[in-house]
Amino acid sequence: MNDKLFLFATIAGTPVALRASEIEAVVRLGDIVPIQRVPPHVRGLAALRSRVLTVIDIESRIFGRPMPVSARPLAVVCEVAAHTYGLLVETVSDICEAPDGIHAIQGRIDRAWAPFASALVEREGRSHLLLRATDFVSTPVAAKAA
Amino acid sequence: MDEILAEFIAETLETLEVLSGEVVAWEADPTDGSRLDAFFRFFHTVKGSCGFLNLPRFERLAHAAEDVLATIRRGDRAADPATVTAVLEVMDRIGTLARCVGDGEEPPIPESADDLLLDALTVRAPSPSAPVEAAPDAKKEVTAAAPAEAAPSATGRERAPRTIRLPLALIDQLMNGISDMVLARNDLARKMRDRGADPELEGSFERLSANVADLRDMISKTRMQRVDRLYAAIPRMVRDLSRDLGKKVGLDLDGGDVEMDREMIEMVVDPLTHIVRNALDHGIEPPADRLAAGKAEAGTLRIVARQSGNQIVIEIADDGRGINRAALVEKAVSAGLLTSTEAATLTDEQKLQLIFHPGLSTAEAVTAVSGRGVGMDVVRANIEQIGGVIGIESCVGQGTTLTMRVPLTLTIIPGLIVRSGGHYFAMPRGNVVELLHQNSAMIAVEEIGGARIATIRGEQYSLIDIEDVLGLPPRDEQSGMHGPRTLMVVRSSVGQPYVLGVEAVESNEELVIRPASPLVTGAGVYAGMTLPDNGQPMLLLDAAGIAQSARLPLRDAGRIAAAAAAKVEQAETTQALLFAERDGTRRLIPLAIVDRVEDVDIGQIARSDGRAFIRIDGRLCPALNADGTLDRTHKALRLHAGRDTLCYLIGDVIDIIEVPISLDVRLDAGRIAGLMMVGETQIEMIDPFTLFTEVARDLHPTETSADAPPPLLCLIADEQDAWLTGILAPLLRQAGHDVTFTAPTGRTPDIILRTEATATEVNGGDVPVLLLADSAETAKVSADAVYRYDRARIIATIAEVAARRAA
Repeated sequence: MNDKLFLFATIAGTPVALRASEIEAVVRLGDIVPIQRVPPHVRGLAALRSRVLTVIDIESRIFGRPMPVSARPLAVVCEVAAHTYGLLVETVSDICEAPDGIHAIQGRIDRAWAPFASALVEREGRSHLLLRATDFVSTPVAAKAA
Repeated sequence: MDEILAEFIAETLETLEVLSGEVVAWEADPTDGSRLDAFFRFFHTVKGSCGFLNLPRFERLAHAAEDVLATIRRGDRAADPATVTAVLEVMDRIGTLARCVGDGEEPPIPESADDLLLDALTVRAPSPSAPVEAAPDAKKEVTAAAPAEAAPSATGRERAPRTIRLPLALIDQLMNGISDMVLARNDLARKMRDRGADPELEGSFERLSANVADLRDMISKTRMQRVDRLYAAIPRMVRDLSRDLGKKVGLDLDGGDVEMDREMIEMVVDPLTHIVRNALDHGIEPPADRLAAGKAEAGTLRIVARQSGNQIVIEIADDGRGINRAALVEKAVSAGLLTSTEAATLTDEQKLQLIFHPGLSTAEAVTAVSGRGVGMDVVRANIEQIGGVIGIESCVGQGTTLTMRVPLTLTIIPGLIVRSGGHYFAMPRGNVVELLHQNSAMIAVEEIGGARIATIRGEQYSLIDIEDVLGLPPRDEQSGMHGPRTLMVVRSSVGQPYVLGVEAVESNEELVIRPASPLVTGAGVYAGMTLPDNGQPMLLLDAAGIAQSARLPLRDAGRIAAAAAAKVEQAETTQALLFAERDGTRRLIPLAIVDRVEDVDIGQIARSDGRAFIRIDGRLCPALNADGTLDRTHKALRLHAGRDTLCYLIGDVIDIIEVPISLDVRLDAGRIAGLMMVGETQIEMIDPFTLFTEVARDLHPTETSADAPPPLLCLIADEQDAWLTGILAPLLRQAGHDVTFTAPTGRTPDIILRTEATATEVNGGDVPVLLLADSAETAKVSADAVYRYDRARIIATIAEVAARRAA
């Protein structure tokens, strides 16, 4: 797979990028069935045809406050360790190549983003924080959140 | 080229698996040329392919083995145990290497090590002149009768069904595809209902719908594999182990053609292996001890698989020394599990059950084979984890039989859909012992020091509410709006049974279970997730996890003793389903024969010639109560008796209640068996036997009384037993059998019937003895016991005896 291909989206107004190789599709979800006794960023379960997605609220994972969702929220579908997840995103702008590739982050980013954003991806003159899907589907570890 | 290599590896490994069973059989009968041919062919194929694929190491091994087999085939050399071992080792080495190549790894064994194997192969046995006698005088020899299919003759091989090899991922994809299709069909069906029916369109849709259902069944079958696969490794293991232990063991495998889900097979391998090891190590005695005890020198290990409803039953029986109860109890006492007073009150059954307790093993010495601390408790935990049960029977000096009952598949389980605070959850039906309404007279709830305790028939259970466990809004806010809550008596593998309160139990469905993601299972109360036909994802509750998160006490020894005491006091009762007939009359029916409650669409009901049928799962099932005007949908009780199924249309299900086993007033009025006092009212109890009689000609249209097996002479062992004489005897007579209470002269009885209460020792000799068990639980674990209210099973079992006698 082309490792310069990225999905560009926004989360809490911040432009972010995910490697296209990590993701399977972008879909609008139907009803999300909430789950009890799970971390707050696990929004619930949603059906995607015959598959069941665990819906993850990235914004809640980063900032600790739930993302306001519309009736048919946009989600990035990805498969990690044989489980399928839907990562909620605000908007998706495009899937395209970033010819300049990945840069190291210059300057200090928000403390909330720091554990998740490892690099920057440039597209049309704008920087996007590069996120990894696996960071959001693992059980939060105290050290990581600090 | 890679593809060819992968194919070669897969084929080699598969052939090896099949052959490992045959090699033992070959050793037992070295003269059997057809087996020798099979091995010869294997090595020959490997040799040929290796040359082509450039795998010199394989080629060298295969070539040497082929040479040795060739000399044996010519009669120049005997198939003595040493040679067989050497051939086996070469096969193992080829297997190891093939797996390494398959995984793309470097083989862990240096090539020079192959020389040792080849040397062993070429060393001549000392007595080549006695090819046949060589085996019996070897002390370490083991005989094994491999399953008949495992040794097909040359002609059998040609007639084998044509097969192709498919990647598993493709089958999973197919399964997903068909699930998508079912969901789309359901969606379409909903939309068609909403828009009003066009009969023509509906006809086409029905046809499509039936096709989709058939397709789903067929694809589910692709997941099934023969139990032979489970058996494949056993002959070899028994051979190797009995050699190591210096024992003689004959192996008898049966039921290899039974099919079960391939995932299930994988889950059963470990427990089965462990049980077989135990049987060889602790069960079967060394030859000298056996002779001293007056038994045959060689022990027998028999493994039988059979399908029983939607379960697979695997029985592992040895004819060894049996389980020493005294030693078990002594260990339990010294381990502090029981006090000696408690130990004294244990029944034999309970003593045997101690073997499943962690840390109790009767082995006097820890051996290399078993007794390494991994005990039967782990075996039981593994079996229960997959929704199975394990039972044990043991007769000192005569042997031990372990019975594993596991569901047919891991992925489709019957579940109850429960509702609470607008949320829906699934609970495996296997975990639910009974359902009660909160306001049922059977149950008393009290609050003591913050704990809530439910008392049902004198047994106390912790009562927890699902809302409390899951952190849903407390139940008080909703009470009054939703009527009485439903209480489920839940049993899990780790703890005491407890009562779980939910708002309502909605329905009973076959659920396709998928694993939930770690973030979800991390909550500790979910076992998986499922997508029912309505397309709304649902979580499967974990009965053990809920008990743990509510911090309920775990299973303890005091409970064993308490249960022993409680059992004595418990009045004899049975479960019955309370329902409303279509006209609203409340009636009871024995729960044992109710398979499930179906929602029947009017389209599924067909009436002809005064009779009615309901189409369920692509089959027509006779229906009762289908007269008069029908509504769009109906509830129907699906009654099940052996091979026979019938549907009984009802108004609604009301409750499951416990009733005394004997009727308060006996009537002989068609479908009504009698009256039963329930609380302050009397309710009619349906006689299921009559129901089945009514539809008998639809169930077995070709059967006429002339073909029926000749009547049996049934001997009832205890004339004093009111149940046997008052209930069973009339039933047997009705079924056309002769009943006697004393052993007749001149004619041997065909079957002897007894209950657990039968005091006199019953020894039937050749005559089969059938135990009519007080509880369905006992009947489950014992082969010659039938639950006394499982009338259809009783009749079926007796009919079996008749059929066997006729044969």
